[in-house]
Amino acid sequence: MSIVDTSTSRRRFLQASSATGAIAASGALGTVGNLLTPADPAQAAPIESGTVVTKSICHQCPARCGIDVYTTNGRVHAIYGNTDHPIANGKLCPKGPLGSYILYDPDRFTGPMKRTNPKKGRNEDPKFVPISWDEALDTVAGRLNTLREKGESHRFSLLFGRGWGASCAGLLGPFADLYGSPNVGIGHSSMCSDGSVVAKQCTDGNASYSSYDYRNANYLLMFGANFLEAFRPYNNNLQVWGYIRGEKSPRTRVTAVDVHVNQLIASADRGLLVKPGTDGALALAIAHVILTEGLWERSFVGDFTDRKNRFKAGQTVDPATFQERWVKGLVEWWNVELKDRTPKWAAEVTTLREADILATAREFGTTRPAIALFERGAHTHSNGLLNGMAIHTLNALVGSLFAEGGLAYQMGPSYGPMPVKAADYMDDWAKGGAWKTMPRVDLKGHPDGYLLAKNMIQEVAKNHLANKPYKLDTVMFYLTNPVFSAPNAPQWEEMLKEVFVIETSPFPSETAWMADLVLPDHTYLERLQDAPTYPFQGFPMAQLRVPAVKPVHNTKYFGDTLIEIGKRIKGPMGEYYKALNNSENVIRHLAKGFEKDPGDNGVKDFESWKEKGVWYKKPYHWRQVRGEFFEWDGTGYNTPMSAEDVKAKLMPTPSGKFEIRSGYLEAKADWVAGVSGRSKDKLMFPHWEPPKYSGEGDLHLVTPKTALHAEGRSANLPHAIVLMQPTAGNRKHTVAEIHPSVAAKKGIKSGDRIVIKSPVGSTVAVAKVTELTRPDTVVLPFEHGHWEHGRWAKDRGTHVAPVIANQSDRVTGMANFYTAKVTIEKA
Amino acid sequence: MTKWGMVIDLEKCTGCQACSTACAMENNRQPGESWQDVLYYQEGAYPNVKLSWLPRPCMHCENPSCVHVCPTKATYKTEDGVVLVDWNKCIGCKYCQIACPYGVRFYTDTKAPVEPDVRTVFAAADGKHTWSPPYKAPDGREDWTHGVGIPPAGVVSKCTFCYHKVSKAPAGVADLNEDNPAVKEYVPACVRTCAPKARYFGDLNNPASEVNKLIAEKKGVRLLDHTGNKPQVYYLTGKSAVIPSGRALKNT
Amino acid sequence: MTADVHRSTAPGAAPGGQALSTLILAVSAIGFVVTVGLVLSALAGDGHRAFNTNNDGLFWGLPIVTYDFFLLTSTGLAVTATIGLALGVKEFAAVSKRCLWLALAGLAGGVLSLFLELGQPLRALWAIPFSFQFASPLYWKVLCVGAYVVLLLLTILRTLQPGWSVRAIRPLAIALMIAALGVSMIAGSVFGMMVMRPFWFGGEIPVAFHIESVLGGLAFAVFFTYLAHGFDQDRLPAGVRALFRDRLPFAFTLVISLHAMFVAARTVSGLWSNADGLQVWQHIAASPLFHLEIWVGVALPLYLMIAPGTRSNGRMQILAALLVMVSLFVARYDFIIGGQLIPPFKGSWAPSMLSYVPAATEWLLLLAAIFLANLVNAFGERFVGLDDVPADT
Repeated sequence: MSIVDTSTSRRRFLQASSATGAIAASGALGTVGNLLTPADPAQAAPIESGTVVTKSICHQCPARCGIDVYTTNGRVHAIYGNTDHPIANGKLCPKGPLGSYILYDPDRFTGPMKRTNPKKGRNEDPKFVPISWDEALDTVAGRLNTLREKGESHRFSLLFGRGWGASCAGLLGPFADLYGSPNVGIGHSSMCSDGSVVAKQCTDGNASYSSYDYRNANYLLMFGANFLEAFRPYNNNLQVWGYIRGEKSPRTRVTAVDVHVNQLIASADRGLLVKPGTDGALALAIAHVILTEGLWERSFVGDFTDRKNRFKAGQTVDPATFQERWVKGLVEWWNVELKDRTPKWAAEVTTLREADILATAREFGTTRPAIALFERGAHTHSNGLLNGMAIHTLNALVGSLFAEGGLAYQMGPSYGPMPVKAADYMDDWAKGGAWKTMPRVDLKGHPDGYLLAKNMIQEVAKNHLANKPYKLDTVMFYLTNPVFSAPNAPQWEEMLKEVFVIETSPFPSETAWMADLVLPDHTYLERLQDAPTYPFQGFPMAQLRVPAVKPVHNTKYFGDTLIEIGKRIKGPMGEYYKALNNSENVIRHLAKGFEKDPGDNGVKDFESWKEKGVWYKKPYHWRQVRGEFFEWDGTGYNTPMSAEDVKAKLMPTPSGKFEIRSGYLEAKADWVAGVSGRSKDKLMFPHWEPPKYSGEGDLHLVTPKTALHAEGRSANLPHAIVLMQPTAGNRKHTVAEIHPSVAAKKGIKSGDRIVIKSPVGSTVAVAKVTELTRPDTVVLPFEHGHWEHGRWAKDRGTHVAPVIANQSDRVTGMANFYTAKVTIEKA
Repeated sequence: MTKWGMVIDLEKCTGCQACSTACAMENNRQPGESWQDVLYYQEGAYPNVKLSWLPRPCMHCENPSCVHVCPTKATYKTEDGVVLVDWNKCIGCKYCQIACPYGVRFYTDTKAPVEPDVRTVFAAADGKHTWSPPYKAPDGREDWTHGVGIPPAGVVSKCTFCYHKVSKAPAGVADLNEDNPAVKEYVPACVRTCAPKARYFGDLNNPASEVNKLIAEKKGVRLLDHTGNKPQVYYLTGKSAVIPSGRALKNT
Repeated sequence: MTADVHRSTAPGAAPGGQALSTLILAVSAIGFVVTVGLVLSALAGDGHRAFNTNNDGLFWGLPIVTYDFFLLTSTGLAVTATIGLALGVKEFAAVSKRCLWLALAGLAGGVLSLFLELGQPLRALWAIPFSFQFASPLYWKVLCVGAYVVLLLLTILRTLQPGWSVRAIRPLAIALMIAALGVSMIAGSVFGMMVMRPFWFGGEIPVAFHIESVLGGLAFAVFFTYLAHGFDQDRLPAGVRALFRDRLPFAFTLVISLHAMFVAARTVSGLWSNADGLQVWQHIAASPLFHLEIWVGVALPLYLMIAPGTRSNGRMQILAALLVMVSLFVARYDFIIGGQLIPPFKGSWAPSMLSYVPAATEWLLLLAAIFLANLVNAFGERFVGLDDVPADT
């Protein structure tokens, strides 16, 4: 309202009267460049005067897109994709541009703080007071020194979420070894996607995510991996999508499998809405059809010696009649499992139409190259490993492993060695203290716990509270907030009341609310931080965050916080960290590796790395062509590989082949049979096992991530909040998608508040009645419902974790996030 | 003379909303004040549900009804074909919002969809601007005559085709393609950031431009042609994409 | 006849009317100060965030309804006034002066509502007239309203001169009538030209606006004339009584009938037609308020004005006028809001049909406009002598 603003009116009138002149002037501006038409691509467009572009990497998902950060007069005001970055290619996903908001989030912590209220709890204000960094670091080191002196160094734990590179999470290994705790560096992977990692380890021997050559694939079959909303690297997936659907010839055909209509299902040629947890049944039926109809890739899989197909539904086959090439156990699999997995059978299990299953199988089996990919939707269930193995085996059947248009794994960057070696700074306690025999608090790798898991972060609170194996004393958090995100999250509140909590996030969070010390990190636009790529296209790549501005507040990069704590530990450990000096020194040493192995973009040292923001070296070094493996010789895939080479470099399984009969599982068969109840004849094969749902409700609860779900801060970004769940069309918070038939039965309308109940707890949500979800499934995105996270996040939307039971896949350790069966009623 | 236009390939568009956030940040829009918005539609019943979406910038019409109705000539069409609002002339009567068939205009003074209101949290100290986000564009870029920057209260704002960028493009350039480093900085934010490259921007008056080529080869269509507004934004529907029907469905 | 003679024919008018108008004057003044103060403080704090309009499609809310209603009432009153002064239907001259003053009162209320609704109201004062934006109906509307205001003030000034006459005032009255009709026609065009909004679009809209304007003018004339005389038919001046006995019920009947025809025609075609936006008619037709509006607000007054037993009955005339006044407001509301209920291109971000409930500030603004109009009118009643008739009737 400027009803009284007469002072400016006159001036504005004068400005307005010259509007036409201004337009003419701006037209004239256009000729200043005096460039030819079309514009010369070699001549980079000038940016505004006074503006500096810094190369960095986005922090809002694991993908690590290179970004150009535009800064003028010390103010970051724009973020675009880095054109010369292989993942970003100048583009961004919807989260990328919001980074400057994160930098200037008004709720950020402005410096280190300590708690003055000894009581802890949701309703206990911690009454933080600012302290100096020295006091903060001395406090931590003091506790750590005391624990170590008492012989209880194992009771210090450091839990981390998104590790980026050698200068942050990479420092945790040496810290654990020098300090002496099995619990330093408990990662979040078991709440993330270990299900797929272990499924791949069991079959092709690589405990890793895959790299994918989507651009050359002609068929994509996606299970529970929302390629167009959540799957990593999201930004590049979108670029791929534009190419394979709008430009490539032939257009890549896509079938997507999920439990509700999302943007991927809507965009795919065929969307299959399966009953949650039954993806494996669909994959088995597809494999069944590929075999019975003779569609498998003979050059990779092998063939019947007389080339006559003996795979007939329900009939066993003599293994001697089949000559296997790069797979192991195909005919045994058929006999013990696959012969009965007909489309008709799968139709009943999955609730899909038999005709759709058959059509999908035929397309997948006849269109090469083809990729079957899967993620959380398929494997965050009790049968997740089996689902994953079944799906991944489809890749073997059509010969996609290491093929052009198929999938492979990731090469690491040519980093230089660290400035000093931890091994040179070990005292007696580090070398052989009692901690060495202590199990990890999460019982990862322990027969009583999860022998084959990679991490079991979701067990930490439970085990601590049960004093099994022991109680922790001091817990430090880096980029993880299980008090909000873990299954049965309220259990974590109880644990954190009992331990000394150190939080390192720059932002308020549930963990910070329970913390005794807050040592706030820089936000990502203020950090110097390295980050090798996640599995992408296989070729090695390492990117660098370069600070766009000086730290806005009195914060410290986590890598330096850790180094500074290390310096304060008594004995040689302190000396190690003094020698390490700081995180920049670490990064400078990493960059020395590039001197011998310059990147394709000319990056050869620390300075050029900073300037370009990324080092990479194409291509991936190995390729399988029609059953023959070749290595890159500098000009082409020309060097043939022996079976031993393949085993050593590409498929490190006991047999050196793709093991449908998993040697890895067979070696632990007794343990697996004991914890899973699976038959010892079958447990090493991909096979059907009905998922164990948690709870007795009539509705599945599925909690997907949406495109605007960043690494934990979107809940406090107003621009992300208004776009969070676009298909449901709510500008304020996440909503529970409920099928009209359910809504009618329970008398629920869109906008009604509903209570979602499971045996572990209940939560309140706003309903959206929609045909987008299955009639047996409630879809409620994971993102909102924070009880402490910043002024916009607090008490907005629904916290899903309290209704998710802490149930995990006994083999992979993967938390079964999508396994809940709940009831809903009007609130 | 240049006539800027846009082509949006709906077959490539994944509905990710990166255009919306890139626009919001580049142009310092309030949350929900989506100059560039993506609209979602659903029809049908499980298991065959049609979920579709339509990215919707301002159409920068050849014959813009908003310009016709504006009583102060605050809304005008530039010589290079862009429809802008002069915030020095706008009186906030909102008739342009009424007259726009595409719903692309925003009054600065409406209730915030998300509380606390960013206009309060990041209040403008000078009392002349609606708000002052800490990451706002460089001060020198503000240009109320062309509706660029952060507006005063009581006016209507809209997509400018990133006029502060495109107006500086070299004269006579046919295509503003973000993959061409020479013109990258002149490309509208939504086009520049679009990951699946569903957006193209160029000169509709240049027969050789990429936008004209796409319109011809891929059969570009314009929204609501019957209103006579004649948009300068064209949509490609390819093999499988759809233009959502305008007819409102019953509420569920 | 002289003015004195005339005045003497209505001896009861002055004393009772004066007390009432003083009371109304006081109540209106206090009411206006309070309501406009509340509105201004809400606007100073939140700007137009204090309104329930939005960017999903509901751009014009209750304040615009108020503005258009008051403006059209004003022009209708001016037309009613000029029936006697410009068209030579001398019986109507008995209410001309009051109608002119009422037109001014209505205009004041409307302009108040508009100015507190506009984002930059003061800028509008110069930015519109000097824009020369010939394509915009609002440009013409402002020009026309400007001319209308000037002519209305001039005409009123002339009626304040002792011994004013129809003969002397006629050229001015003709110009005023043209300006008033121009305003109501363009006010209709503002909506009728919106081809992208089928609910509003159509060449008949300006005509309908004319009719509604005149209907409102007649209703307000009747109501406020009675009000000035304590709602007592017997106290009416003789000329007014004569007019109300015959000509006025006839004119009222005629204009209500025309209005009813338009309402019926638009409702039926709206309910039947299929263009996006017209489904609002189903929504409107389902609302009790709409049925109240057409049956109680249109049909009943029409009956009252036709039926021999009621058409000349003072109480029935007052009732009919009151019903028409309210129903016209409801119709204006339904028309302006209804045309915006289907959001343009918002997908699932907005509901298929918007719902709008005016905010407290918007209601207060309506009250402020009512108080202001009554304040102006009561001032006229108290100090100006609105029963004056021209010397040559």
